[in-house]
Order: sequence, then structure tokens, then C-alpha cells
Amino acid sequence: MSTVSESLDGSSRSLSAARRHKSIRKTSRRIYSAYQDHQEGSSDEEDKVDERVDSNDPEEMFQNIQYQKEIIANIRTRPWPMRRKLKVLKQARETVLRYEGRLTRTRGYQTAGADLLKKLSRLLYNIVVLFIPWEVRIKKIESHFGSGVASYFIFLRWLFGINIVLTIMTGAFIVLPELLAGAPFGTTRSKTIPKEHLSSAQDLDTIWSLGGYLQYSVLFYGYYGRVRKIGSAGYRLPLAYFLVGMAVFAYSFIILLRKMAKNSRLSLASASDESFTFCWRVFCAWDYLIGNPEAAESKGAAIVNNIREAIVEEQEKKKDTSLAVLISLRILANILVLLSLAGSIYIIYFVVDRSQRLEKEKPELTLWEKNEVSVVVSLITMIAPSAFELVAQLEMYHPRTSLRFQLARVLVLYLGNLYSLIIALLDKVNSMSSAVQVSNSNWNESSSFLATISHPEGNSLSTLMSDISLSKNHNSTTATIATVLAVTSRSSSGDVYNQTAVFEKNTRQQDQCWETYVGQVLLSDWITPEYGEFKIAENVLHLIYNQGMIWMGAFFSPCLPAFNVLKLIGLMYLRSWAVLTCNVPHQQVFRASRSNNFYLAMLLFMLFLCMLPTIFAIVRYRPSQHCGPFSGQEKIYDIISETVATDFPVWFSKVISYITSPVVVLPALLLLFMLIYYLQSIARSLKFTNNQLRMQLQTERTEDKKKVFQLAAARLQIPEAAADKKSDHEESNIASQESSNHTPSPCQNSSTTNFESPVHRGNCIRTITKSVSRGDLNRGGVAGSIRSPAVTVLPKHWLEHIPNRPPPFLGGPSGTCRSKSYHHMVYNSPPHCSDSIHSDPLCRKTVHSVHPVEAAGIITAQSYRGRRGHTTRYVIVNEHEPRKKLLRSATRVPRHYFMEEPTEIMELYPRNVRRYTPRNAHSKPRPHQSHASQQHPSEEDEEEDQGKGRRKMSLGKSHRPRSPSNLQQPAHFYIGDRLETYITISKENHTAQGRYGAQDVDEEENGVGEIACGDEESHSESQANVRVVDPLLLQTRCHIHSPRRQYLPQTRARHVEPHVKSKSKQKLENVQTESDSASLASSSDQQNSSNDQYIQVIHNKERYLKSGARQGQMAKKKSKTSFDLKITESNDLVCSNV
Amino acid sequence: MGTTASQLSKESLSEYQSNPFKERICQVFSTSEQKDGSLTFEDFLDLLSAFSDSATLEIKSHYAFRIFDFDDDGTLDCADLEKLVNCLTGETNDAKLSSTEMKQLISNILEESDIDKDGTVNLSEFQHVISRSPDFVSSFKIVL
Repeated sequence: MSTVSESLDGSSRSLSAARRHKSIRKTSRRIYSAYQDHQEGSSDEEDKVDERVDSNDPEEMFQNIQYQKEIIANIRTRPWPMRRKLKVLKQARETVLRYEGRLTRTRGYQTAGADLLKKLSRLLYNIVVLFIPWEVRIKKIESHFGSGVASYFIFLRWLFGINIVLTIMTGAFIVLPELLAGAPFGTTRSKTIPKEHLSSAQDLDTIWSLGGYLQYSVLFYGYYGRVRKIGSAGYRLPLAYFLVGMAVFAYSFIILLRKMAKNSRLSLASASDESFTFCWRVFCAWDYLIGNPEAAESKGAAIVNNIREAIVEEQEKKKDTSLAVLISLRILANILVLLSLAGSIYIIYFVVDRSQRLEKEKPELTLWEKNEVSVVVSLITMIAPSAFELVAQLEMYHPRTSLRFQLARVLVLYLGNLYSLIIALLDKVNSMSSAVQVSNSNWNESSSFLATISHPEGNSLSTLMSDISLSKNHNSTTATIATVLAVTSRSSSGDVYNQTAVFEKNTRQQDQCWETYVGQVLLSDWITPEYGEFKIAENVLHLIYNQGMIWMGAFFSPCLPAFNVLKLIGLMYLRSWAVLTCNVPHQQVFRASRSNNFYLAMLLFMLFLCMLPTIFAIVRYRPSQHCGPFSGQEKIYDIISETVATDFPVWFSKVISYITSPVVVLPALLLLFMLIYYLQSIARSLKFTNNQLRMQLQTERTEDKKKVFQLAAARLQIPEAAADKKSDHEESNIASQESSNHTPSPCQNSSTTNFESPVHRGNCIRTITKSVSRGDLNRGGVAGSIRSPAVTVLPKHWLEHIPNRPPPFLGGPSGTCRSKSYHHMVYNSPPHCSDSIHSDPLCRKTVHSVHPVEAAGIITAQSYRGRRGHTTRYVIVNEHEPRKKLLRSATRVPRHYFMEEPTEIMELYPRNVRRYTPRNAHSKPRPHQSHASQQHPSEEDEEEDQGKGRRKMSLGKSHRPRSPSNLQQPAHFYIGDRLETYITISKENHTAQGRYGAQDVDEEENGVGEIACGDEESHSESQANVRVVDPLLLQTRCHIHSPRRQYLPQTRARHVEPHVKSKSKQKLENVQTESDSASLASSSDQQNSSNDQYIQVIHNKERYLKSGARQGQMAKKKSKTSFDLKITESNDLVCSNV
Repeated sequence: MGTTASQLSKESLSEYQSNPFKERICQVFSTSEQKDGSLTFEDFLDLLSAFSDSATLEIKSHYAFRIFDFDDDGTLDCADLEKLVNCLTGETNDAKLSSTEMKQLISNILEESDIDKDGTVNLSEFQHVISRSPDFVSSFKIVL
């Protein structure tokens, strides 16, 4: 017997494997139906919504309203067509409106107020958008040339914002107070123009070079008075000056870092080091913003290049021989670059040094000697980048990488040049400070030096006009020279004029930079109207450089940020105009967000480097004696200690001195280091776990898939080859242990478990104690094979069941009778049973319905609703079971197995016990069936009968639960978490069922299975639960052609309840169906198989989640939670599949 | 709303003629019975909302997936990918990839994105890839 049953089992399994196989394809279809046919799902959902609302329980109403609100809030995040959104939204709004008022008046007002607020905020937002500078312009550029070009302008705008803030800081705290309350022009020495210069102070030439009146204005450091407190309010200008100077850096740092952090948070790319180069190149290649045909063309070309290069790279990656060559080439290239960098730095240093020497030694300088420094610098900045480009070709990097390298190298070059200048000048400062000089002569000297620099610059500019970027860089380098000069001369001589001149020089530089820049751009646009690609990267580099100059000079010239603001405005208009009129986007564009972070990183680097000289000057050198707010102090930062000493109470200065003493500073530093280390190690470990999780996920999923396929393959082979071969089946069983339905426990119990296990479980469910005894009975002596005893013992069980049943379960007994009767009907069952059947009209109908289908020869149509219900049920519940078993031990004694489950179930849904009983009754007959089949396995007629019986049974089942529920509805619906909440809301079981039924009919008509889970993520769990079940049901239904729609409602009623049903039950049914289908006909279980798939996947996840919780006995709670989890998981899964 | 009288055909969006996916976009957002890719007002709203700034990554990637899924079967299989690449490169001979290149490209794409190794890219895999892309959200936009 057992062998036969096993074979049955095996064949059933193979069938289900085949089904599974098909279902893979089916799922894909379903996926689409999911997103194309949301209509059905939504109507379903809406109906339920209505239904829920029927109750007057405020708690439920409140929940419902919350749920509706959730829908309203999340509707935008769902990929539904507009019509559906509108419909759902309307419905949700209506229900909220209708029932919210009922709860409390205030709540209604609250929502009304919230609505109003929302509208207002939206309006406000729209208005605010109008005030975002250049938003429209940038959008226009974006729509023509894509996000790459736009990123430049966005970056520019962002810099503009920073400069605005800097301007406000310096303007409000330094310039304005000085103008309003400071000593007026001409009152002090630092604020009057020396007599010898007065005559020429108004000359255009002087003004142009920011001399004369401009020199003695608030533009420059030198103008600010040294008076500690100015005005009637006693504004401490020097202190403010110092603090603002520091705040400029602090603010820039903070804003930069924040922006970078935000950017990197937005793009997960930096977090994970997965590389999707090919995917991104294909999936994310197109910039949907591009509307300009030319831009589209060049973008297309860029994409092709990109893809081609990726392919070539990939191909070359496989060649080992070229790799060595490539590496050596790259090394060579880097060496070349380093050499050229070092060479350029040395040359600049040498030239500067020489010019300074010449300055000292010669009274008159030749033209070359005057221009030497600037010419050399501009030559280097002009030649070196192209040299780098040549070298980069050696490296054979991907264009994007090479562009990046190029940028980085150019930046290093600039900075190197800049620093070599600074160092050279600092040398000079030292030498000058060693040689004591008359202040006046010193001034002359330095000014002459300035002249040498500024003059040549003009010349070089003209030569550089063709190349904007280079000339610009050149400007900036000279600007830095000026700053450094300023520092040097001031510190060395301490001459007032000298210093101002220097600062003026600095600003002038900046100013000139801006003007010449505009001129250049205009010129270049005129001269070369076909100026093709808009080089984002280089333009951004200019912006960064420019900003660096601002940071460097802001301390010495408080008005610099204001100038920069003007310059940026001009740049914005100029650039955007140029782009819109004659530009085509660069072929190798940096993509927006990522490149932004690259730009930002460069900017940060720049900020740091530009801050260094300023800080150095502040800390190292003595401020000039006769001008500026810090004149007369030993060091600039003395202003702080001075203020603390004089203007604060004594204790405060004491505290400050303690804090600044090494005793505090050193530990603080240590702490900081420790913190950094700690955070870094945390980040590292997080990364590690992240990686591991990803690996796990990957293996999980691949494993699952593999198993499914293996199973499918195995099963496909087996049925055809030999259905009777026991050994084969066993093997397949083993193999199939992985598969959800046939997890070890069933297999071990017996391959035939299908038939027999139901009985056991039925008992178990009824009463735990009973189950034990029964289990003993069954198993007494039969350690290995339980089923045979079970089968034989069946009658006994039967007897037992009836007495055991608790009195309240009136419905239960009747149910059993009926089920039995069905069974018997087929086999000419006892009269009383048949009576019972007939008494119930539904039953009859179902029975009828069965026949046509069979007649049609589509036995698979077992799919009747009742059937469907079962299958669906497995979906949720089944899966856990096997899993649990797996986890605990494969060798688990069947008895425990049985016992446990029922207990769980009992605990979970105590009130549902009734339900189970009827179920058990149904399942009872099965043994008979199995009997029959085993006895006459070859007889087709028999089998068919069986099938009929089964079918009927299932049908009977489907309607059976109803009767009990009718009898004792209230008892039923209280406990279950989700199901109950869901269904119970309308405390009339019938109506609910009816509803569902109706819905089903609708769905059926539509003929589309609905997998709504994905959509319903936000729903309460109860719903999720229902949902999960439904879609599957629907799906199955769809695949089966169901002739009777009229009967749907009843069967559906079943569906409603199933959710609450015990796992064991479902399992039983599942098994049954499979075996049945196996014996009856092939391909019957397709639906199931599809379910299986889901199950499987779910399993694994679940296992991970709960392996801990599973161990040992499942506590009530645990089981519950597991159930919940299960549901949610399955939900997720389905979603993902959808 | 949504009557046939107010339908937009795919040729009407002159600004978008340079988009290689214009037909797919219309098809995906169209709800017309004839499957001709014409858009009702509501469809158009759908389109714009999916391509707007405020649409979430999830929505954007969902629609991107559907746009790329040329045969509407719920997965991106090799045929889809090939069509997609051809759309991007254009049909001219010099731009079009050769069959070996195409093969290589597709196998690489699948290698990167096909987590479950079933030979196709499904929606969740697609979204996984897309969500890591730094540029997608900023470029999957339409500004009229």
C-alpha cells in the first residue's frame, strides 16, 4: 500500500513539478497583468473598503479612515494609470469624508484644515519656485542639452548662493559698520591718500588698477581702523573682522561637506561597490531631457562610443598579454606626468626667485625680466594640459576616467604652480625680513614688483585670449602671487601703503579677472561662433578656481565675495546665452549627480588649499603697523586673547587659558582621533556586513531558482519514465525536500502522507490532548511508516472524532457527515449522508458543477473554487510548515509534528477550532479514497470516481464551513488578527462572504488574475493577508476555465475563511490535491505549482528571519509572529515578482 | 476627459521627436484600445507625472522598465535588450553594433543584473540596478 501511495505521491510531485515549470512562464504573464489590470484589483479593494465601513465601531472606523488616508498619501508613489488613481482617490476621500465626521467633529475640521494647509503650501511652493534664480533658464538648458550641461549651471548657481552668504557675512559685519560708524575718509593716516599720489588718484589708469581712491576704500583691509570699539554702540570691529574671516571658512566647509554628504546619500552608488557599468550604460544612458535634435545626435553618438568602449574594454580585459603592456604604459604615463609636474613647479620657483633677485639688484628691468614670471607661468599652464592629454592617450583609459585623470592632473599642476610661487615668495619674505630696510624704499620696491606682475599679465592676456580656460587660470595664479606678495611685503616691512597696495593688487586681480573673463568669453564667442562642445568639466574647473581665489582673498579684501557674486551673475547669463545660441553638449559629458560630487570634492580640496596660505599668514606673520584693524598687534589672532583678557570677567579668561592649555587640548585631540578611528571601523564593518548580506541574498535566490529547476526537471522525467518505481520516487522525494510542499516532514511521514496525514491532523486540531492519544494509537509500534496504520485505523479515528468533538461544534459533526457523504456518494454512500448533502442546496450545486468539467475531460479542473481555495491556502500556510520541520530536524517524529501544529493553530485561532473540525471530517474520507486507489490503482474508473469524490469533497468543504459559521458566527471572528479584522468588520459572515463571492465573479469575468499585493503594501496586515491569498486564487482560477460562476460566492466564502485556517489543514489539503491530481490526471496542479514557487522563495527568506525563533517549541506568540511574518513576506515576494 | 476626441497621437509631441524611445513611451502610457500609442489627456498626465521631478525612483524605474520591455512580457529578455541597444545606437550601419558585440554586451548586462540567473532581467532586478545609478533620476525627466 505504501509503495503505491508513494508512487502516487511521486507522480503527483512530478506533475506538480511540471506545473511549476509552466508556472514560471505564467508568473511572467501575471506580472504584466498585475500592472496592466489594476482596475480589477482596485474595484475589489474598494468593495472591501465599503464593506469595512459598514460597521459602526469607532475603532474600526478609525482604522479604516487611517487606511484610507494612507491610500491618499501614498497614491502618488504608485505606478497606476491616472484613471485608477482618480478612482481610488475619490473613493478614499469619500469614505474619509463620510465617516470621519461621524467619529468626531474636530477630526473633520482638522482634516479640512490640513487640506487647506496643503493647498496653501503647494501654492507657496509654486511661488517660491518663481524666485529661485535662473530656474527657468536652467530648465530650458536642461530640456535642450540634458542634465549634464545643466549640472554646470546648477553648480554655478550653488556657488552663487554660497557667495551671497559670504557677501552678507562680510557686508553686514565688516563693511557696513565701518562705513556707518568708522572714522570717515581722510581722518586717519590709513584713510588718506598720500600727497604724492593725490594728483594721480583720479586718473583712469590708477582707478583701473584699483589705485587711488579705490585703494583707500572699504574694499581693502588697509582701510579699516584699529579702534577697538566704534560707534555709540561700541561695535568691536577688529574682533568682528577676525571672526568673520574665520566664519567664512567655517561656513564654506560646512556647506560643502553637507552638500557632499547629501549627494552621496542620494546616490547609493558610493555606498556599495557593485559595478553595473554595462547596465547603466544601457539602461540609464539616454537623457530623457534632451529635446534638441543636435544634442540628441551627439548624445546618441556618445552613447554608442560609450557602449563600444565598454565592450572593447571587456574584451581586452580577457587578454592577459595586453594587460602587462597596459600597466607598464600607465606607469610610464604617470611617471611622465609627475616629471612634467615637478619640472613645471621647479621652473616657476626658479623664475620667481630669479625675478626677485633681479628686482633687488637692478634698478631698471628689461621687458623680458619684467614679464618673465607671468610668461613662464602662462606658458606652463598652456602647454602642460595638452601634454597631459597626450600622455593620457598612452594610458588607454576609458574616456570618462581619462577625463577625470586629466582634470585632476591639471588641478595638481595649477596648485603646484601656485604653491611654488608662494614658497618662493615666502623665501623672499624671509630674506627681506632679515635685511632691514627703510619702509619707504621697501614700499617702492614691492610696488614695482607688483607692477611687474600686473603689467605683463595684461600682455599675456591678449596672447591667451584664444583659450579661455588657460588665461583664466593664469589670472588666478597671478592673483595668488599678489596675495602672497601682500603677505610678504606687509610682514616684512610693516609699511601701510605697501600692504594696501598689495591687497589692492589682489582685488584688482580678481576684478580684472572678472572683466577680462567676460571680455574673453564674448570675444571668443564672436571670433569662433562655431565653438562646438561645451566643456563642462573645464568650465567647472574654472569656477572652482575662481572660488578658491575668493576664499583666499576674502580675509584681506572683505568685498571680494560681493565682486564674485557679480561675476557669477555675469557668467551665468553669458554662459547660458552661449550655450543656447551656439553650443552643443560635450560628447563625454559628466553626468549630473555623480560629477557634481566630483566637482565638490575638487572644490573642497581647493578650499583647503586656499585656506592654508591665509591661515599661515594670520598665524605666522605680524600685521602691518599702520593700517588695518590689527595694526599694532603682534599677531592677528591676538585680538581674541586681548578681547578675552580685557572685556570678559577674570574667570572666563582663566577658563579659556585652561581650555587652550595642552592639558585639555592634547586629550581632546586624542579623543578626536579615537572617535575618527571608531567611526571608521564601524563604517568598515558595516560595509562588510553589507557585502555579506548581498552575497547571501544572491546565493539564496540563485539556490532557490536552481532548486526549482532541478525539481521541475526531475519531475518531468519521472512521471513519464516510471510512475511505479518506488526508489525513483523516493529519490525525487529527497530532491523535492527542498520544494515547499514536499518538505521533509511529509515525505518522512510517508510518501502517501497525503491521504493519511489529514486524519491525524484533523484529530490533532480538534483537541490537543486527543491528538496525542490518537497519535499513539496510530503510531503504536509503527515507528517508520505511520500511514499504513493510519489508513487501517481510519474507522477508529472516525469514531473517535465524533465523540471527541466539543459540544458547541454542532456544525462540525454535521460537516463531517456531509463530507463523508460526499465521499460515499461516489461510492454509493450511506443514505443519511446523502440526506445531509441534499439538505444543503449549495452542496448539490457544487456536485453538479463538478460533472460537466469531468465530462469535458479536464480533470484538472479540480480547480473549482473550493479547490482553489485550498490551493491558495497552502500558499500562505503551507510554506511555513515544511520549513519549520526542516529547521528542527529532518528526523522528527511524525507524532510531534502533528501535535505541534495543531497546538499552534489552536492557540492562534482558538475560535476557529470549529472550523477545523468540519475540515477534518472532510479529510477523513480521504483515507477511504486512498484506500480505494491503492486497492485498485490501475482502474481508471475507480480513480475517476475518486476524483469525483474528491472534488465533491472539496466542494463540500468549501461550503461546509459556512454552515458552522452561520451557526456561531460571533465566536468565529474575534480572534484572528488580520482575517478577523478584515472580515469581522461586517459582523455578518454571510454578507462578507457574499461580497467576496461577488468580487470573485467580477474578477472571473475579467478573466484576469489579480496580484494586488504589490499595490497593497501599505495596507494593514489583515488586508495583506487577504490579498496574498486572493491573487493566487484568482490566478489559479484564471487558468482554469471555470464553468460555474454562480457557485463562486459559496466557494468564495471559503476563501474568506481560509486565511484563518490552520496550517496543518492546508497542508493536508495540499497534499491531497497533489496526490489526487497525480492519480487523476496530469497537469492538474499547475496552479498549485505556481503557488509552490512562491512558497519556496518565501521559505528561504523566512528561514533566515526566524530560524532563531523556530527552535524549540513554538510558543504561541512565536507561531503567531511567524505567521505574520510569513504573510508579510509572501506579500513582499509577490510584490517583487509583480 | 479621456474621450477619443482629445487623444494625442505620438506625432504631436514635436519636442520629443529626438527621443529614441518615443514610441515605447507612448505605448506604455497609452490606454487606447487600438494599441496605437495615442494618448488621452489622462495618459498624458500619467506620462508627465512619471517624468516629473517629484516622481519617486520607484515609479520612474517602473516605467523605465516597461518602456524597455518591448514585448510586454514582464521581463527584459535578450530580444528586449537587443532592441533597446539598437534604439540607443540607431539603425545606421556604422553606429549599429555587430552581432558579436551585441552578444557580448547582452551577456555582460545579464551578468551584472541578473541576480537569479534566469537569463532575463525582471523588474526587481532592474530596479536594483537602477537605484544604484547616480544619474538615472536626474535624467529620467522631461521638461517641456
